[in-house]
Amino acid sequence: MKAYRSMVLVSSDPLSMERGAQEVFDQLQKEISAFGLKDEVSLSMVGDVGRHDAAPLAIVYPEAVIYGPVTPKDVRYLVEEHLYKGRIAAGLQASQRELSGRIAWISARKDTLPAENRVLLQRAGVIDPTSIEEYILHDGYEALAKVISEMSPAEVIAEVKNSGLRGRGGAGFPTGLKWQFVAAAKGEKKYVVCNADESEPGTFKDRLLLESDPHAILEAMLIGGYAVGADEGYIYVRGEYALAQERLRIAIEKAEEMGILGENIFGTDFSFRIHVHSGAGAYICGEETALLESLEGKRGEPRSRPPYPTTHGLWGKPTMVNNVETLANVPPIIRNGAAWYRNIGTPNSPGTKVYTILGNVNVTGLIEVPMGITLREVIAIYAKGMKNGASFKLAQTGGSSGSIIPASLQDTPMDFDSYQKNGVSLGSGALLICNEETCVVDLAKVLLNFFRVESCGKCTPCRIGTQRAYEILDNISEGVSGLNDLNDLSLLSENLARLSNCGLGQTAGTPLRDILNRFRAEVEAHINLKVCPTGVCPMSGRILAYAPVMSHSTF
Amino acid sequence: MVTLTIDNQKIEVPEGTTVLRAAQQAGIHIPTLCDHPALTPYGGCRLCLVEVDNSRTLQTACTLPVVENMVVRTVSPEISQSRQFVLSLIFSERNHFCPYCQVSSGDCELQNAAYHEGMTHWPLQPNWKVFEMDASHPYIILEQNRCILCRRCVRACGELVGNFTLGVEERGANNMIVADLNVPLGESTCVSCGMCVQVCPTGTLIDRRSAYLGKEVKVDHHLTVCVGCSVGCGVDVQTLDNNMVRISGNWDAPVNAGVICKVGRFQPFDEDRERVRTPLVRKDGALKAATWEDALGVIASHFKPLMGKNGDGLAALASTRLAAETLYLFREIFKDGLGCDMVTTIEEGYPTAAPAALADELNSSFEGKLANLKEADCVLALDTDLIRGHEVAGFFVKRALPNGVGLIVVDAEEENDLYPLANWSFKIKAGTQTQLLKGIQAALVKLGLVVDQSIAQPDAAVQEAAQATAVDSELILEAAYRLGSAEKPVFVYGKDASLDELKALLALAKSSGASVISTKGKANSLAAAQYRLDSPFEIKNQQAAFVALGDAEPSQKLVKRLEKAPFLAVQASYISPLTAVADVVLPVAMWAEQEGHYLNLEGRLQKAVQALQPPEGVRSNLDALQAIAEKVGVKVNVKGWQKALSERTPATTLIEN
Amino acid sequence: MTIETKTDQDTTAVVRQVVERHGADKAELVPILNEINRRLGYLSSETLQELSTLLRTPKSQLFSVATFYNMLSTQKRGKHVIQFCESAPCHVVGGRQIWQTLLETLSIQPGDTTPDGKFTLVTTSCLGVCGVGPVIIVDEDIYGNVTPEQLPDILARYS
Repeated sequence: MKAYRSMVLVSSDPLSMERGAQEVFDQLQKEISAFGLKDEVSLSMVGDVGRHDAAPLAIVYPEAVIYGPVTPKDVRYLVEEHLYKGRIAAGLQASQRELSGRIAWISARKDTLPAENRVLLQRAGVIDPTSIEEYILHDGYEALAKVISEMSPAEVIAEVKNSGLRGRGGAGFPTGLKWQFVAAAKGEKKYVVCNADESEPGTFKDRLLLESDPHAILEAMLIGGYAVGADEGYIYVRGEYALAQERLRIAIEKAEEMGILGENIFGTDFSFRIHVHSGAGAYICGEETALLESLEGKRGEPRSRPPYPTTHGLWGKPTMVNNVETLANVPPIIRNGAAWYRNIGTPNSPGTKVYTILGNVNVTGLIEVPMGITLREVIAIYAKGMKNGASFKLAQTGGSSGSIIPASLQDTPMDFDSYQKNGVSLGSGALLICNEETCVVDLAKVLLNFFRVESCGKCTPCRIGTQRAYEILDNISEGVSGLNDLNDLSLLSENLARLSNCGLGQTAGTPLRDILNRFRAEVEAHINLKVCPTGVCPMSGRILAYAPVMSHSTF
Repeated sequence: MVTLTIDNQKIEVPEGTTVLRAAQQAGIHIPTLCDHPALTPYGGCRLCLVEVDNSRTLQTACTLPVVENMVVRTVSPEISQSRQFVLSLIFSERNHFCPYCQVSSGDCELQNAAYHEGMTHWPLQPNWKVFEMDASHPYIILEQNRCILCRRCVRACGELVGNFTLGVEERGANNMIVADLNVPLGESTCVSCGMCVQVCPTGTLIDRRSAYLGKEVKVDHHLTVCVGCSVGCGVDVQTLDNNMVRISGNWDAPVNAGVICKVGRFQPFDEDRERVRTPLVRKDGALKAATWEDALGVIASHFKPLMGKNGDGLAALASTRLAAETLYLFREIFKDGLGCDMVTTIEEGYPTAAPAALADELNSSFEGKLANLKEADCVLALDTDLIRGHEVAGFFVKRALPNGVGLIVVDAEEENDLYPLANWSFKIKAGTQTQLLKGIQAALVKLGLVVDQSIAQPDAAVQEAAQATAVDSELILEAAYRLGSAEKPVFVYGKDASLDELKALLALAKSSGASVISTKGKANSLAAAQYRLDSPFEIKNQQAAFVALGDAEPSQKLVKRLEKAPFLAVQASYISPLTAVADVVLPVAMWAEQEGHYLNLEGRLQKAVQALQPPEGVRSNLDALQAIAEKVGVKVNVKGWQKALSERTPATTLIEN
Repeated sequence: MTIETKTDQDTTAVVRQVVERHGADKAELVPILNEINRRLGYLSSETLQELSTLLRTPKSQLFSVATFYNMLSTQKRGKHVIQFCESAPCHVVGGRQIWQTLLETLSIQPGDTTPDGKFTLVTTSCLGVCGVGPVIIVDEDIYGNVTPEQLPDILARYS
């Protein structure tokens, strides 16, 4: 078992590089070895963190001390003082000044790392989820009371907008803006829908939130309903989450008994009802329009957009659809104010993010940390390193449709914008961490199998594309691949993204694309040499049922 | 109106139009597969992808509503590449090996689209799973191996017909078109309207009679009117070398907009009656072939002496499947020329009696139009089963039911296929319909939805009606409430409705703002009524009878009554029990072999065209009657047929198509 | 999971009960199907037929919906249903070996039922218990961190 005690990040923006960051890095590596700290301290280049005045920087965790400018000469002293003796290397610290940008949050995290910053999960495991009294004792329904007694709907929306909260379902759309759209939509009847159809493989944060703190979601929906002018809400819970449904039902009952939910809440004109609606096992229902179809008692097939749910949602009425985690952010924002919220996370992605850590690591589970943490930090600090001391090969962020992160992107901050810049999507917060024994063809096959099974079949590219891609990968893993396979796979992954109707198809090709780009040699070994480098694929030479029947035929 | 630019062309279209329709209006071709003008946009096949300025991704033109100042491009290398990819995916899904398919080389929209995109082969390796062909249905074959899952059939079955037999099974690559709970089509709730066949873009849903007989692009098309019933649907009769190959609904027809039923589409191909191919004259107790001249001579020799005689003269009957011109000439010969006192149709005016009587009494037209029925938000059906007869009108009702249209059914028949579909089914004792209608009227007053001073005690009146009809008064109130809250209610009544019932219905219509419409009977019942060819038929002492039967099937009752006539002449297309007892039979054309006009149940005058040449020696019904007129020496002029339709106030105003 | 006994009469009664509880509202279709499926084990033709009448919904629509969702089955299943999670998080931590062992132990193909009618083996997508993968679910019992060696013991608990 390998668990790092400390972590050292070296800035590697162009200026830092120019000023000798590489030399500092090399020297650090040398000195860390020399002090025998190799197994205790992780070291990495971290990209641009700001504070160019002090470049190059070396930042040491968990204390989050910023040193800079650091020269190779300083390294031995720094390692000896801070990493070996455990005290701050006096004189090397970057001068104190007004901090901005990413470095500001790195600094702000000083007290929070490696401990989590639990905003959404503050009550998880602390209170009895079936007790409304305990919820109320722990700040519960305070935000609702504040909203109803002190704020106008416009003020609520403004507060959410100012907080910079972005949807946690994967796309990262600004939540306040969505609320504003629904509030502005014409219509007497409006709905609030909570998307609790959490089906993204490797994700169970919503389940945890619902099971441990159901009232928080009710409170958020009430606030949302008040803000947009809705009087009815639905929580669409995935069918497999029986306990979450049960807890929600109890919570609704209790809230109704207390007059927090129902007619004339707190004696005002505001009335609101919430229904719990169970799904029946379909990943696609996490797509908001498919979810609405399912709520209406139909097959969960995504609608064509426009029009959008904000104007034409449930039963054609303006509907605000928010994910569980997004909603869970709302009461703390209202309670503490947008300014408080903006202090957490990064400027463009404020707040915390709940991640599920999975795969070949020592500790799996759920963490809530500020936006912008890096993958390396997650593995080293929260997952306590790779299992059995194996090395990291790749990670997949955000479930099946997430990006494949090679080792080279381990130090990119995980926030919406930084990831987007690198063509990576943050997704639902699942972090599947894989070691070197993972075969990328096998992984791609498993992922494409998921999509072909979960595709609703409405649109051609997704229905047929996922199936074709799976078949080709299956053939490759059996060693019966053809010359066109790589080309066909690239075409499929690219066109799935461009031509599909909804997010499922549009992202189904993402991991495949990443694997082809970042692990091409390994895939080529399967095809050209008929060898699976990790020894995972059967490579039996078995002709599968759907092996090429007749290619390049005319119709 | 919204202005947008498609391929540098400025276009103005109404708000709510899709980019696809806007492009089509401007003559810009965007390829499609899952789209059909008669169906709601679906956005599944992704063939109609276009580029839209300020849009992150390609958009499906079929679902995208136009926006002011939108800029759209339908041609670009990216679009072309995308369409080819979509097509190659579809070709890789199932067996699209064209030489085996009856629609290839012209009728297949998939193949046509591929040619249009310049494709010569399929680039993706296919995986052909093999599916069993479903040939259990008498008219339709379901060949899943060619299906592209565009769901046009599913949408047509639901949106156009309201039958909802077809659905989609499973998800993703396992999607299959299924009937009901996945039963063979032949054992399903299918009503054989064949709309699924008509909208299928590939060779998946096959009209088993027409397959391989002639592609739509090769055959001759005759846009005409179905004479199956009084709805008067527009049909496209397709022929090749004087053979009827296929019948489709005419998408441009004002009555049905493409939708037809099995009577119009498939049943004409079931015709197995033996044709009358030559005139027949009874000699020595048996019918023998004769010349037209001889046969007409025999007729004239029997008819002439009876001219102008009352009671013991001549009786004449015509089928209401005959064209208006023919019916008019028939009347001119027998009523005006020969002065017969018993000239009517084989329907004997029965289906039009009540509306005609009321129109006479009111001296004004009082019925609405089929368009009202299509837009209705509440339908009350009185003494009519719109599923078993006038089926397309039934489709208009059925397809609207999922949108929340209320259906109230009042009938005394034991069976009515509307009962299970209705929100309120009043299956009541015969003769009590009037009381129920009055009860609903009283309920409207009681609910305060209508003011009617003549009903002093509405509560008691409702109770009274409930008692008389043995119906729960709550149900009457419920139905009345639904009716009273409807904005566009429509009442449809059938041929069994009496004049009393009709008056009660009209009173109810007045107070609830409903339009009423009756189903009439056969294709030209209304024309016959307008010509006053609508009296009951009876053989008293008549010495001879004539029946212009055409291609109609005579009832046993009719044959029984006509047997009594000392001399019987019939002009008919087919051998039947009636021709068997006739003394002279003249061979005449069937519906598709002649032309003429039909007045449908909403008073719309439509022309049926000739699609086929009759066999040699067989004349049109009109020509046969002309020949008789000549032979018996009656001067006729058919030209007055159209004016004569307005001799009498029609139940519904006449529309010229 | 206790599946109720299923004479035709019982089936009808259960369907009616469930519809009454949820209301004969088409919008409640998915929850209704879900509950009936849970109580009767699967959605038979008779069940859907009865439901079609009660909800005034065409049979094709019921079938289309019933076959869309993974938790619903229109096929009769074995006494116990084994769900194997085939998603990536379980796969990379040893799911593949579990699957092989399951197939060998039961000697059936995915989706099939053992000849004695005891087990039906189905694959499922992520069940949200990935923290303890690989995961199998037998009826409603979740087994996490499963190893191939444990499988015979787990299956032996079901008679």
